[in-house]
Amino acid sequence: MMFSAELKKGSTEMLVLSLIEERPRHGYEIGKLIEQRSGGRLKFALPTLYPTLLRLENRGWIKGRWVEKAGERERCYYRLTPEGRRVLEEQQKTWIAYVAAVNDVMGGSRA
Amino acid sequence: MRNWEAFVRSRLQLPAHAPMREARIIRELAAQLEDFYREAIARGLSESEADAYACEQIRDWRKLGRDVANADRENTQPRMERIADTVTGLGQTRGGGMKMLADFLGDMRHAARQFIKTPAFTIVAILTLSLGIGATSAIFSVVEAVLLRPLPYPEADRLVRVHEIVPQYGLFAVAPATFLDWRQQNSVFEYIAAYNAGNTTIAGTEGPERVPSASVSWDLFELLKVKPLLGRTFTVEEGTPVKQTVAIISYGAWQRRFGGDRAVLERPVTLNGTSSTIVGVMPPGFYFPSRTTEIWTPLAFKPADAPRGAHFIGVIARTKAGISLETANTEMKTITERLGVQYPEQSANESAKVVLLLENIVGDIRPMLLTLLAAVGVVVLIACANVANLLLVRASVREKEIAIRAALGAGGRRLGLQMLAESVVLALAGGAFGLLFAYLAVPAIKTLSAASIPRIADLSIDLTVVGFVAGISLLTGLIFGLAPAWHASRATLGHVLKEGARTSGGAGGRWVRNTLLVAEVGLSIVLLVGATLLLRSFAKLTSVDPGFHPERVLTFQVSPPNTAYPEPHNRAAFFSRLLEEFDALPGVRSTGMVQTLPMRGDYVLSVTFQGRPAPPPNTEPSANYRVVSPKYFDALGIPLLRGRVFNDRDMDTSPQVAVVDQAFVDRHFPDENPLGHRIDIGNGGTGFTEIVGVVGSVHYEGLETNPRPTMYVPYRQDIFSSMWIMARTDGDPVGLAASVRQALRKVDPAVPAFRVGPLTDAVTESVAERRFSMLLLTLFAGIAVFLAAVGLYGVVAYTVTQRTQEIGIRMAIGARPANVLRMVVGDGLKLATIGVVCGIAAALALARVIESMLFNVTPFDAASYGATALVLLAVAALACYMPARRAMRVDPLVALRQE
Repeated sequence: MMFSAELKKGSTEMLVLSLIEERPRHGYEIGKLIEQRSGGRLKFALPTLYPTLLRLENRGWIKGRWVEKAGERERCYYRLTPEGRRVLEEQQKTWIAYVAAVNDVMGGSRA
Repeated sequence: MRNWEAFVRSRLQLPAHAPMREARIIRELAAQLEDFYREAIARGLSESEADAYACEQIRDWRKLGRDVANADRENTQPRMERIADTVTGLGQTRGGGMKMLADFLGDMRHAARQFIKTPAFTIVAILTLSLGIGATSAIFSVVEAVLLRPLPYPEADRLVRVHEIVPQYGLFAVAPATFLDWRQQNSVFEYIAAYNAGNTTIAGTEGPERVPSASVSWDLFELLKVKPLLGRTFTVEEGTPVKQTVAIISYGAWQRRFGGDRAVLERPVTLNGTSSTIVGVMPPGFYFPSRTTEIWTPLAFKPADAPRGAHFIGVIARTKAGISLETANTEMKTITERLGVQYPEQSANESAKVVLLLENIVGDIRPMLLTLLAAVGVVVLIACANVANLLLVRASVREKEIAIRAALGAGGRRLGLQMLAESVVLALAGGAFGLLFAYLAVPAIKTLSAASIPRIADLSIDLTVVGFVAGISLLTGLIFGLAPAWHASRATLGHVLKEGARTSGGAGGRWVRNTLLVAEVGLSIVLLVGATLLLRSFAKLTSVDPGFHPERVLTFQVSPPNTAYPEPHNRAAFFSRLLEEFDALPGVRSTGMVQTLPMRGDYVLSVTFQGRPAPPPNTEPSANYRVVSPKYFDALGIPLLRGRVFNDRDMDTSPQVAVVDQAFVDRHFPDENPLGHRIDIGNGGTGFTEIVGVVGSVHYEGLETNPRPTMYVPYRQDIFSSMWIMARTDGDPVGLAASVRQALRKVDPAVPAFRVGPLTDAVTESVAERRFSMLLLTLFAGIAVFLAAVGLYGVVAYTVTQRTQEIGIRMAIGARPANVLRMVVGDGLKLATIGVVCGIAAALALARVIESMLFNVTPFDAASYGATALVLLAVAALACYMPARRAMRVDPLVALRQE
């Protein structure tokens, strides 16, 4: 099942933020992780994902740093800033509340 | 694996980004594409499949560019300003004006980067500008060195030349007695001095040498306010006609002849056979009256017997502070006219004129130089129009970029300024290359104009010229940047973002472009007409028969010193032996001799006729006076028309005889046989001279004027102390110079031959000024036509691109390629024709400007105008034909699928 761009748009930022919550990741990795963890149901193409990273960085929520890891090429790794962490928590709370509300409404109608 | 960074850089447009930021974004996108590629390889895809997979990740680069610019807005404009601030160090004080300047500098940086990305456009634009600016700088450097730079003497604006005006001749050299009266009676000059330029034989270790010299009033150096480097200048006593055995030498002569030895002072040297003492050395860079003068000796006259009728000295003066040129003129006129009344025999009706010294030197050349400066100004205007058109076309291609900038909040004014910054960057680059052109042109200009432009040796690219180039570059940048800037400033978001909306491609843009083009064609017509008129003049001038054959004639001057040859008969014997020696040289056909060189020298005497009423003093007719050897006519190929030429029996003791030319006969004996008539030459009281022959007329004053009547007398009857030898040779005349010197040494080893050269040089030099202006104007007209053609080509080619769809439709509904060709070429030629008509009209209006530079061609010469128009239309047709051929090959299907 694929989701429309409209639907995905609202959640892209939160997905990116949450993926780098545990550890810094580079752009390609973020895209691939979204695809993997959603079992292929969510795909964010590079042209969508990259401007998002720039935007988040410009807001001061994430910070990119060029790192060369052993045996790998140099890549830009993004990590969450304290500000980003706060925003993520808020977004997650809102999202969970929103999904619960949507479920309640839909569950209610089905019941 | 491909270079992903290069791949991204070539596709992603981030015009508003600072270079560092842009590089980071490109690097990161490239890294990610490489990840996709590696992943595909790991999955087992082939290299080409993996490459295609990675490339597919980004399909719409323009959208990505916009999205990135939107997401990264903080790093576009603000960052630009921050860079500009660091560049200018204005970070702390960003007031209104400073902010604008900082923005503008930032814009210029940005523009420079943009231009590097589009090398073809940039090269064409900069080349166009540098041609225009380079030509202008070169001519300006001439104007600056010749007309504007003060003479190299302190307070040179107070230095004047004083001429006598003699009724028959106009401005004339001054008679010594008149000079002495001037000196005594004037109240307007701080100093007034006389000089007489000539040559001096200096005895050196390598034999005698004849060098340019001048005898000058003792206070000339005080007048010029120049102090000697070593020793002293002349004293009052040395300015009186006693035994003059002192000399001052130039710095160059001191270095060359005496190795810069300070012991040169008080050392005896032999000048003109007399032992003299060097009392002073002038500083480097000092010259007077000519740049080559090496020796100065005192000039003095006894008031009692200074001649009043013989005019041969030059007079310069320094006006007293606060005395205007008019005041000086009025007083000198009054004094001289009073002298005319006082001495009616020699000075009747004479007057005087005071001219600024600089004006006296360069006045004649000014109109020509200013005409050339105007011509290059026109070239610059054409270059401006061309680049403006290029920028307009470029702007219409860059609409998306402008749209993004507008979307990012750049206002119309800001966008306009950004476009203007681009123009200024282009203009400054053009200026830099132009300056380089001018610098490279300096030696060529010096060589080309050495004989025709005074002071040209001073030509150099100095700070004034550099400043001028900077100024003119900025000015051109503003001129050609106006149209594109105005366009950009009108760009509004909705207007430009509308797909397919073309600001500059619209009717307004086309009108601007067409107007510029018409102006370009018109301006080049004006230049081309001017050049054609000068070319025709030059052709007519050089086809004038000078009246003698200058080819294969070697000329040089010989001056036996008065000390060794004190009496006329000594000199005559010397020259007679010399002519014999030269005639005997193998390779010499015949040797003649005369006291002044054709086209260079000037020697005019008055003449009266026996049996005709004597005219009042100072109103006698005058004629060229030439003292020649018998074979002179033969050596120069001047034909004998009647009677006889001179022979060896015409001696100082035999009856005085003269030969006159046809012009003399036409003037004074229109209906008579002149042979046997007797004339009094020079009013000198030497009695009457019988005319024994008539020869062909010669253009002694140059090719432009009609031959002045000329009288010849045999050299034995009026020997001069310095004569020009003319040896007609069988082969290359210059090759004989060595054997000529050897022959001279046989006669007298102490006498040098100097100013050795072919006679053709004299003729060439006489037309050198015309050649210079003709060559340059032709060059400028060529550049102008070339630029106009490039401009026309650019506009037509652009129109063809814009109209591809329309052409496709036309062809789809049956238009043949020939129709398309006619349409495209026709449209272009329509513009060119309007330009030609306007240009011809402008040229007719301006024709009088170059009238004085023409010869036997009217400024309204129909043939020149017609030929010019045809040439330009032909060039225009060619410029239109090339893009039209592309239009002919438009594939209707492809064209219709566009957009």
